[in-house]
Amino acid sequence: MKRYVLTRILKSILSIFAVVSIVIVMIYTMIPSDKVFDNDAGAKKMKGDQLVTYKMRKLKELGYQDYASINEMCIATFGDNAKACSDGDEAARSQAVDKYASKGYAINTLKSGEPYAVHKYRWYELLGRFYSKLLVIDNVNAIKDEENPDLERKYYWGKNPYNGTPALLCSGCTYKYQLYFDGSFPFIHQNKFRLDFGTSFPTSQGVPTLQVINEGQGPNKKVEQNFETGLTEQSALIQTSCQYKFKTDHLDEKRFNDHYASCLSYHESPSMVQTSYTLGLIALVIAYAMGIPLGILMAQNKDKLVDKVGIAYINLLIAVPSLAFIFFMRSIGTLFGLPDKFPQLGFNDIRSYIMPVLILALLQTPSLMMWLRRYMIDQSNADYVKFARAKGLSQGEIFRSHILKNAIIPIVNGIPASIILCISGALITESAFAVPGMGKMLPDAIKTTNNNMVITLVFIFTTLSILSVLIGDILMTVVDPRISLTEKGGK
Amino acid sequence: MSEDKKNLILSVKDLEVKFKVRDKVLTAIRRISMDFEEGKVVAIVGESGSGKSVFTKTFTGMLEINGTVTNGEIWFEGKDLAKIKNDKEWEQIRGKKIATVFQDPMTSLNPVKTIGDQISEVIIKHQGKSKAEAKKMAIEMMGRVGIREPEKRYNEYPFMYSGGMRQRIVIAIALACRPRILICDEPTTALDVTIQAQIIRLIKDLSQEYGFTTIYITHDLGVVANVADVVAVMYAGQIIEYGNVNEIFYDSRHPYTWGLLSSLPQLGEKGENLFAIRGTPPSLFEEIKGDAFAPRSNYALKIDYEQEPPFFKVSDTHFAKTWLMDPRAPKVEPPAAVRELHERMLALTSKGGIYGER
Repeated sequence: MKRYVLTRILKSILSIFAVVSIVIVMIYTMIPSDKVFDNDAGAKKMKGDQLVTYKMRKLKELGYQDYASINEMCIATFGDNAKACSDGDEAARSQAVDKYASKGYAINTLKSGEPYAVHKYRWYELLGRFYSKLLVIDNVNAIKDEENPDLERKYYWGKNPYNGTPALLCSGCTYKYQLYFDGSFPFIHQNKFRLDFGTSFPTSQGVPTLQVINEGQGPNKKVEQNFETGLTEQSALIQTSCQYKFKTDHLDEKRFNDHYASCLSYHESPSMVQTSYTLGLIALVIAYAMGIPLGILMAQNKDKLVDKVGIAYINLLIAVPSLAFIFFMRSIGTLFGLPDKFPQLGFNDIRSYIMPVLILALLQTPSLMMWLRRYMIDQSNADYVKFARAKGLSQGEIFRSHILKNAIIPIVNGIPASIILCISGALITESAFAVPGMGKMLPDAIKTTNNNMVITLVFIFTTLSILSVLIGDILMTVVDPRISLTEKGGK
Repeated sequence: MSEDKKNLILSVKDLEVKFKVRDKVLTAIRRISMDFEEGKVVAIVGESGSGKSVFTKTFTGMLEINGTVTNGEIWFEGKDLAKIKNDKEWEQIRGKKIATVFQDPMTSLNPVKTIGDQISEVIIKHQGKSKAEAKKMAIEMMGRVGIREPEKRYNEYPFMYSGGMRQRIVIAIALACRPRILICDEPTTALDVTIQAQIIRLIKDLSQEYGFTTIYITHDLGVVANVADVVAVMYAGQIIEYGNVNEIFYDSRHPYTWGLLSSLPQLGEKGENLFAIRGTPPSLFEEIKGDAFAPRSNYALKIDYEQEPPFFKVSDTHFAKTWLMDPRAPKVEPPAAVRELHERMLALTSKGGIYGER
């Protein structure tokens, strides 16, 4: 079992890499790179050489290509003696240009006559660059600040400023709080290992993609907190998230004794992930709480009125396009005074949640009911049911302790997936109610050619899908004694 | 049919069972009357579709949903089982008073419940014992049917058991509440030959120990010869011959019984062609006129096609439903294989083998 799970995890990781690699290669080689600037406000204001230079630089930043202006070529070629070259010495320039050309760079010329070198990355270079910087391990030598040569390099024990529990701190790392505990899931938090998917562009420019997904939304929320200098004030800063800041200002110095002053903030509203997850999870619980008893009831009363009404309900919900159903339900909601857009009452009003959750739940019930009913009816024709009847058990006892146990197995397999994949949000429902959740994230990222965001989301969704299948399989071994996870052949 | 009504445990009178199949009505059981004596082993034999299983299913109300008892009475413990309509009353009979063992032990047990649970749930249900008591009784029962180290195996699942072991568990479940009648619906068909003998032996031993009446449904006459006290031969929804085992094997009167006995593969001799009854059983969708076996019989008389024969008494315990028994009928000899049956059986049993234990 252990070995099996390990190999499964190994295979899972491989498949995640495979999927992500394919997506990266597709994005960088098959979509015209110029599309990146379609939604970029900065590019719209420029023209001529300025625009070309901007684009080249941006494409380099985004990982499409390597680019060198004539100045950079000079510096790379002559080092400290680059002055003549930069000032326009023809011989030196052509020497620098030749050097780049010989390295396989394409040499183009701006309208002003200045040459520049561009090298479009090939697919293996793209993958190499992506994976080499994917996993970031924070260490005491991570920060190189020339203006702060006395920066101590050490790990030390301190306290979580919010709850006083011990925390592992670091001086010289990117993050100050390396390991700390608090009351929010998953209770143990670390900043030692991070995945770096790059920054978002052109929306939320410069913000790491994971932060875009994870950070709270809406205005900052100030809470009273103590800083290490002894200062107590209303502040939105999250101290445990602080990173090294190269240039601290006097406000920072009032709060912090060291350079770790670049912190995330508390926000009024939860992040996109959290919003989607809250909605999805509540909906899921309701869906199962409704679907399973109803499915059982239908199977028990096969061909009777209850069953027929149930089948009509299932057919109706499957036949009606979900968009129509959502808008229909939404207008029913407004009859009861419920908002038809989530932001109308916002995050802090329970009425905002009722309709989206209800709709999400109802949309999941038909398939749940249908499959459970079907599995149970399948099982009720099995020989062991006949024998259970011959044993003198009542219909109810047979359903409860014999049939359900068998019929629920395939349902159980799907539960982890349903729970975990709530994260991905519900595109249509969230759009209809303008819920700021994850649902629209991937389509939006694709539309705006936010490459890093697309890759991030693909990575997250792939990982979660594979993980949920694995957990589903492990869960199966719990409910079905016949299944054991072993490498080859069962025991 | 037996005149003296001593120790009757189950008495069936004029039983008729009909099935609705696609708007047509099929008469599966055509007015059977039969008495079962307490403690005896009764074997019901006949080819597939003769109504053996349907007949016994009426004793526990286990007919398929499209089947109904349309006529007759089934008397058991002063109660007419044919009148029972709701499941609640049946639950007091099934498993508790009349238990059934089905053909395929591989599928009779719930694959995701432990063996122990499946035994003790009957005990809890019918005897109102606590869980701990039921467990104790179940373990005892498991030991009784020949499961070694039952305490250890109590929490195991059916898939960990072989077919023979599962059938032992099925028997343990069936007997857990000490039923008065055990119906064995082809209990050994799905098992291999050596296991068959063990299971038959086990049922026989337990029936002596617990004193229940056993009803075997089988088309294996070898099993019948080995265990039965009384044999009833069924054909097309009727019992056509009835008697104790020696009478049926060595003094049978009905041409169908002759056919069955002649086609016993165990009794076939090298070099001889094995006998087969020609034709197929009649359709039970239509009303059958006369003797149902007549079209397939080598001994059919003209009257067989016109009038249904009554039961003729051969001895106090032996009855046959054939016009050949009528004093006016021509005298016919049973086929050679049947005449020599005694010798062949003796030869077979003296050679040992699975039927030699009787």
